[in-house]
Amino acid sequence: MARLIRTEKEVEGRYTEQWVVVEEDVLEQWPEGPLQTVGRPATRVDGLARARGEARYTQDLRLPGMLHAAVLRSPHARARVTRLDLEPAMAMAGIRGVIGPSDLEPLTNEPNYEGEAVAAVAADTVAQARAAVEAIDVEWEVLEPLLDAEQALAQKSFVTNPRDYERGDVERGLAEADAVVEAEYRTQSVLHNALETHQSACEWEGDTLVVYTSTQFLWGVRDEVAKAFQLPKDKVRVICRFMGGGFGAKGSAGDYTMIAAELAKRTGRPVHCRLDRREENVNSGNRNPTIQKLRLGARSDGTLTAIDAEYECLLGWDGWLPPTAGPAQMLYACENVRTVERGVRLNTPPMDAFRAPGFVEGTFGLECALDELAAKLDLDPLEVRRRNHADHDPMDERPFSAKELMECYRRAEPHWERRHEVRARSEGPVQRGVGLATQLWYGGGGPPSYAWVRLGGDGTVTVVTAMQDIGTGTRTAMAQIAAEELGIPLERVTVELGDTAHGPYAVVSGGSSTTPSMGPAVRSAAADVGRQLIEIAAQRFETEERVLRLENGKIVSDLGGSWAIEDITGLLEDGQILGNGARGPNPTGMRVLTFGIQVAEVAVDMETGEVVVERIYAVHDVGRVINPLGAESQIEGGIIQAIGHTLSEKRLLDPQTGKVLTRTLDSYKLPTFADVPEIVAELVDKPDAHLTNLGSKGLGEPPIVPTAAAIVNAIRDATGADVREIPVDRETMLRALAEAREREKRGAPAAV
Amino acid sequence: MVNGGLHEVDVPVGTTLADALRDVLGLTGTKIACGEGHCGACTVQLDGVPVLSCITLVHTVGEREVTTIEGLREHPLVQAFVEADATQCGFCTPGQIVSAAALLAATPRPGHDEIVHAMSGNLCRCGTYPKIERAIEAVAAENRGG
Amino acid sequence: MELRQPSSLADVDGGLPLAGGTEVVPLLRDGLVEAETLVDIRAVVPKGVSGTTIGAGTLLAELEADPEIPSALREACRLAASPQLRSMGTIGGNLLQATRCWYWRLKYPCFLHGGSTCHARQGEHREHAIFGNEQCASAHPSDPAAALLAVGATVRTDRRELPIGELYRLPTEDDRNVTALEPGELILELEVPRPEASHYLKAMDRARWAFPLVGVAAARFGDGVRLALAGVAPIPWALDSADALEQATPLPGTAYKVELARPLIRRALDAIA
Repeated sequence: MARLIRTEKEVEGRYTEQWVVVEEDVLEQWPEGPLQTVGRPATRVDGLARARGEARYTQDLRLPGMLHAAVLRSPHARARVTRLDLEPAMAMAGIRGVIGPSDLEPLTNEPNYEGEAVAAVAADTVAQARAAVEAIDVEWEVLEPLLDAEQALAQKSFVTNPRDYERGDVERGLAEADAVVEAEYRTQSVLHNALETHQSACEWEGDTLVVYTSTQFLWGVRDEVAKAFQLPKDKVRVICRFMGGGFGAKGSAGDYTMIAAELAKRTGRPVHCRLDRREENVNSGNRNPTIQKLRLGARSDGTLTAIDAEYECLLGWDGWLPPTAGPAQMLYACENVRTVERGVRLNTPPMDAFRAPGFVEGTFGLECALDELAAKLDLDPLEVRRRNHADHDPMDERPFSAKELMECYRRAEPHWERRHEVRARSEGPVQRGVGLATQLWYGGGGPPSYAWVRLGGDGTVTVVTAMQDIGTGTRTAMAQIAAEELGIPLERVTVELGDTAHGPYAVVSGGSSTTPSMGPAVRSAAADVGRQLIEIAAQRFETEERVLRLENGKIVSDLGGSWAIEDITGLLEDGQILGNGARGPNPTGMRVLTFGIQVAEVAVDMETGEVVVERIYAVHDVGRVINPLGAESQIEGGIIQAIGHTLSEKRLLDPQTGKVLTRTLDSYKLPTFADVPEIVAELVDKPDAHLTNLGSKGLGEPPIVPTAAAIVNAIRDATGADVREIPVDRETMLRALAEAREREKRGAPAAV
Repeated sequence: MVNGGLHEVDVPVGTTLADALRDVLGLTGTKIACGEGHCGACTVQLDGVPVLSCITLVHTVGEREVTTIEGLREHPLVQAFVEADATQCGFCTPGQIVSAAALLAATPRPGHDEIVHAMSGNLCRCGTYPKIERAIEAVAAENRGG
Repeated sequence: MELRQPSSLADVDGGLPLAGGTEVVPLLRDGLVEAETLVDIRAVVPKGVSGTTIGAGTLLAELEADPEIPSALREACRLAASPQLRSMGTIGGNLLQATRCWYWRLKYPCFLHGGSTCHARQGEHREHAIFGNEQCASAHPSDPAAALLAVGATVRTDRRELPIGELYRLPTEDDRNVTALEPGELILELEVPRPEASHYLKAMDRARWAFPLVGVAAARFGDGVRLALAGVAPIPWALDSADALEQATPLPGTAYKVELARPLIRRALDAIA
């Protein structure tokens, strides 16, 4: 029966209360461990299409009559348009439409960051569109941009109100401590650089607007576009069958979608608006830089007595305040915690979610400071983490729905033990060391999320749901779940997704929410089909439903005998068995989180400051694992991205003008094939008994969370140097090494 | 010559090979991710050598044989990529396979260092590198066997 | 725009020379160079290695695998750019590539573009120069150029021969070019002496496919040792001795390059000792 409930919904640490109607989730969880299909490695159902270059991405669309858009973007971080004449553009060859600030919402006369859109054109070719943008007659009054964090703080220039949190008494906790670490940590701005840039192609079909877009959230784009164009929601159809990476930055419609839709409306032709790589790196979001002031206190046995943390999150002109304090608040059972998060507004491009926003930055500071504290107290860092393990949610005493962090610690032990042998392999200027860091993050998913399953006369199954596979392998996971529930081989299941007109509502592929939200819905829908199949079989074979079950592609009777599924479905000819499924509620009164730990081994050249990550061991607890092969890939991918964050990636801005300097992929340095260490990935793979009919949580984000801290802690282990900012480039490493040498000369202790 | 077939394209001087392949010949398996020679997504082979089609002018290709992912669909690497789970979002995958196929043609049994050296111009933001290496090694092992 | 494909040197008559295209095509796209006529010079510029002579049209990918050339040059080619770029780019083109300075590439009206200030000096310059940086702090990105400078290569153009050190010049108030080539002058061949030993070391931001933060080439001829650095000045930079590093004039954000160069120079010298 449908049940109306008021529930807490979380996406990437942003909680909202909302009404949802949920179906009672009547299915028991499957038993723990690998099943027939679920829990066993599966190659991607769409792997061949991608590997053969047949997968059609938004970039590959060639709609008949399609025009190409180009956008006039502000070359200044803050300016006022004093003159804008679009006429010269309209006169150019191949131009079909031109729009300016008075024509469309995101276009503006007063840009507040570099790259903010001012005008746009549509032309027969990309080159013509670009030339027309060049021809637009525009004059700017360049205004002084606000770029300095301290100045912004003094002016109270915030995007949102600062967020304060306090439990216990931090000053008392610090007074009770036997050792205190007080230090400032900094993280840089990193750029998503999904290889498919942000883009949409829009086409009007009568009163319906069709949006082909590279997105992580079909339904979010639908709602945004419908609102902007004042259309009933389902008069906007959003399609994305294959998308070339998002990492958090493709959760909303973006100016390019609005521009393409408006130009399509005016020209009566499909319009494709595609950011180029440079626009991508200026204008499509970024992980915001942070400045973190931390004070940690602990007793001599390692028990934390206080965590005091202030986070300046330099969001840029707009965005939202990510949960940077999350780890400080939730990771450890510390009685006295105070956090302040400030979302500083500057004339720089707005941040957007980037794989575990907030927690990546916050974990770096907290887990590095904790190691510095352990060093001061001469305690084993792993032991300190065990000692401060939170048995329940330290914020509100709620029990965790499941938490296997202690098991993660246990499994990490032999890898942590390697440190003696690793250090012993140091030779000459190359010093080796090992470091670790703990991870927690959300990833429980939630309703509403729906799926349909249909079983055809030939015994094949199609899962239909308007979700998206952003490259994480969710298509495959959904197929596995349906196959498992119906007891059929994976090859018999097809998953149709990526089109809001072809399937029910699905969650955003963000916040590690896809599998935990969609998986239970798919299982419910498959179970609905299974029930009907049994009902029909019971009638056909004149037996009782309760003696029948689905197994290995057959309907098996407890009384002996079995029938191929096709023996039933074949009766129906073109008839189909249709199943509905909806995601049930999250457990009330419980905190649903993911956990893990990573152990990094590094080699540091003490003379050149070169840091080489040689090995990373990762173990994470995300409940039941649907596809161990895809899960391993997710872990490897998260770690490799984190290695880029830790060692080589940094967005640089010109300090005078606030303009992005690293907008090309030679200057903005993503990890290459040559930067990859040995990665050993494990999962606890124990279903969360309280969470849905699957017991699965999301894995997209957890692996990127602890890596930077683990690497930097390994660097300290290897060199004795305190690195407190990322990326650890040559300059940063050489400076930290020089400081460590100075300190040693003065005979001062390692941490402040 | 593209994938064994002769094509003449009539486009202005300055047009890149990538644009000609995608827009004129409809071979959209070749992806453009940076458009300026930095990422390797647009990699195709010219007479068996991996090059960046986004910064190759089509008028300089001449008689040389162009091989794109469409011409490598039956290459054992394709299946090996699938089996090793070497695709995540898949956008860089065609370029990766084109580079890997050139490597294996030149060096049928490459070691780790050779794989890293030959593949370091193909960026993958999803981080599929370990799985790509596994796929290349799988085909190399077949080469060893056969 | 038109493309000419001359079959002999005599037919080359003006226009923008194009060989591997790895530099020229992106620069054209960005409007950093302009041309009505492109001249495909691949048929007229010598290719391949013959004794101590290297054709300017030889690809970096060929040189990185050539056992006969000095090891510093081989290693510099091996660590340059990306595999695809090495399969496209010629050694002649590599020597003439422009700086990666982001201000120059993003068309700031800087000194190198004919303006009056160097934006990098006041701005972000972590990849920039520690020598010869008074007016322009850009860094020359070529690894092979440093190797060729260390081994004392000679450049033969269609008009003259000159030591590679004279191919480059710091930009001045009157002339913002960093090479001494005349308009239309083509590099045809390199004469590369065989040192008794040579070595190239490169520090970069990632393990592959990055321009040098500091590249160090060292070559030994008898008792004499020659050092040259990449990524430290607007042009490839010859160092008279390891001690000459102390004459560097780093900017606040490039001081680390001096610290970085010191052990690399020592190691390179150890390697050829």
